[in-house]
Amino acid sequence: MTSALFDTWYIVLRDLKARIRMPVFIFISLFQPILWLVLFTQIFKSLGGSISSVVGSGTSYLQFFAPGVIIMTVLFSSAFSGFATLMDIDAGILSKMLATPVTRVSIITGRVIATVLVGIIQALIVFIVAAIMGVHVATGAPGVLLVLLLVALLGMGFSAFSNGLALLFRRQETVMAVVNLITMPLQFMSTMMMPAQLLPHWLDVARHFNPVDYAIVSVRNLMQTGYVWSDLWKSLVVLCAFAVVMVAFGTLMFRTKAE
Amino acid sequence: MSVIATYQLTKVFPGDVRAVDGVDFEVNAGEIFAFLGPNGAGKTTTIKMLNTLILPTSGTATVAGFDVVKNPAEVRKRVGYAAQDVGVDERATGRENLTLYGHFYRLDGKTIKQQVKELFELVGLTGDENRMVSTYSGGMRKRLDLAMGLIHQPQVIFLDEPTTGLDPQTRTHLWDYINKLAKTMGVAIFLTTHYMEEADHLADRIAIIDRGKIMTIGTSDELKRSIGGDVVTLTPPVEKDEERKEFVRRAEVALSGKPFVAQTKPADGELAVYVKDGGAAIPAIMQILSSQGIEVKTISMSRPSLDDVFLKYTGRTIRAQEGTRTTFVQLRRRENRRRTG
Repeated sequence: MTSALFDTWYIVLRDLKARIRMPVFIFISLFQPILWLVLFTQIFKSLGGSISSVVGSGTSYLQFFAPGVIIMTVLFSSAFSGFATLMDIDAGILSKMLATPVTRVSIITGRVIATVLVGIIQALIVFIVAAIMGVHVATGAPGVLLVLLLVALLGMGFSAFSNGLALLFRRQETVMAVVNLITMPLQFMSTMMMPAQLLPHWLDVARHFNPVDYAIVSVRNLMQTGYVWSDLWKSLVVLCAFAVVMVAFGTLMFRTKAE
Repeated sequence: MSVIATYQLTKVFPGDVRAVDGVDFEVNAGEIFAFLGPNGAGKTTTIKMLNTLILPTSGTATVAGFDVVKNPAEVRKRVGYAAQDVGVDERATGRENLTLYGHFYRLDGKTIKQQVKELFELVGLTGDENRMVSTYSGGMRKRLDLAMGLIHQPQVIFLDEPTTGLDPQTRTHLWDYINKLAKTMGVAIFLTTHYMEEADHLADRIAIIDRGKIMTIGTSDELKRSIGGDVVTLTPPVEKDEERKEFVRRAEVALSGKPFVAQTKPADGELAVYVKDGGAAIPAIMQILSSQGIEVKTISMSRPSLDDVFLKYTGRTIRAQEGTRTTFVQLRRRENRRRTG
C-alpha cells in the first residue's frame, strides 16, 4: 500500500516535470482560456440582454459564461490526457515500466492525479483572468475552493476515461476521434453557453444525463448566485459517481490491456 | 545453476497464431544466451512471457527461481528489460530516467545515487547525466536503456534486439558494453537478434528459432561444426528468377546422392552444397555439372557461418527475412534520433 502511494507520487512528479518543460504547453494552457473568454463574450455580446432577462438583470454574458470557460478548459485538458499514455506506449516506456515491480495501478492513478492538479491550476488561471475582466464570485474564497473540488472530480473522471480509451485503442487517430465525438456534444448538451430557460426542451432533458452540466450548474451558482445546496449536493454526488466509474474503467483497461 | 528454465513454453494468439510453440531451454548464471531468428519467429513473445508482460498459453517457465505465472512479482524484482523500442523518457534527463527506475525497484535514495553514478560510468555516459534525453543520440539512448534495466542488480537481463537500427560502429560499441555487463556483474543475458554477427560475437550459446520452434541449440562452434565440413555455393550465370530456379533444380538433382555431398540447400536462386572437404569437392562438382551441361557463373567455398547453420535448420536464409516489419513509427523515431544524434 505504501509502495503504491510512493509509486503514484513518482509518476505524478514525472508527469508534471515533463509538462513544465514544454513551453508550448504552458503557453497554450494560459492562452487558451483567455482566448475563449474574450472570443465567446464578443460573439455572444448582443445576447447579453436576453440572457439577463432570464437569469436576472445586471448579468453580463461574461459573468454568465466564465464558469463555462473554467469547465471547458478542464474538460479538454483532461479528456486529452490519454495522449501522454499513448506516447508512453509508442515509445516503449509503458512496457518497460510494467516489467518492473512498480504497482500497476499507480501508473494510471499517477497520471490522473497529475492531470487533476494541472486542471486545478488552469481553473485558477481562468479565475484570475476573469476577475481582471470584471467577473466576481458570489461565494468568495470558500466558493472558489468548492469550484476547484467540482473541477477536480470532473477532471478525474475524464482523465481516467481518456487513459482507458488510450489503452483500449492504442492509436492516436482513434482516441482523438472518440474523444472529440464525446466532448463536443457534451459541451452543447449543457448550460455552458445558454441558460436552461433558453435551451430547446430535448436539450434541457438531455443535459440531466451529462456530468459536464452538473459541474457547470454548481460552478455557476457558486460564482453568480451563492450557495444553492440542493444543486450542489446533486452535482457532488453525480460527479463523484462519474469519477469512480471512470477510474474503475481506466483501471480495468490498464489491468487487461496493458502489456 | 540455471536462472531461466522453460518447459514446452507456448503462446497462441487469437486466430490460432502459434507465436511460440513448445520451446524448452535453460540459461545459466553469467551466460549470454541468444535467440537467433528472423522477425516474427517468436523471439519477442518469448521475452514477454519470461518477464511477465504476457501470460503463456501453456507450458511453464521459471526465471531467477520463480514461476512467471505463479510469482510474477518476484520475477520482476530480479530481472531487467531493454525492449527493441528504447523505453527511455525523452522529456526527462538521463539521471531522472534512471532514478525513477531505482524508485520502482524500491531502492533507497542513497543506493540509487550510488548506482546511478556507477551505471553511468559502466555505460560510458558519465557527464551526460543531467542532459535531457531528447538531446541523446540513438546509441546513448540505448545505453541509458540498458542501465535502467540494471539499477537493481538483476540476475537476468532481457535484451530484445539490442542493436537493431543502430549504425555498425555504435553496434560494436554496444557489444563491448554487453560483454562487460556479463563479465563484471555476473548477470545472465538473454538476448534476441536477427544479426548473425551479433549472435556469433556475443553469445556463449545460441538457439536458432523459427516459426515459434527452437530448431537447435549450441555454441557457435558446435552449430557450425554440425554442418560437417565446408559450404560450396554455386551461382548461376542467369538473372531471371525462373531461370535461376531451373539452375538450382538441375544442379541439385545432379549433385544429390553423390557420396561426397552431405546435403544441398537452395537459397535465393543459389545452391549451397555441404561437403566434408571443399578443396576436393570443387573439381568433382565442376565435372559433374559440366558433364550434364549445367553452366555455372561462380563457385565459392567457405567455412560454415551461422547463416549456413540457419539455412540448414530452417531451409531459409535469415537475410531474406530482415527488415520486414519496420513500422512507420519506428522509422520516424529513427529519423528523429539521427537528427538529434
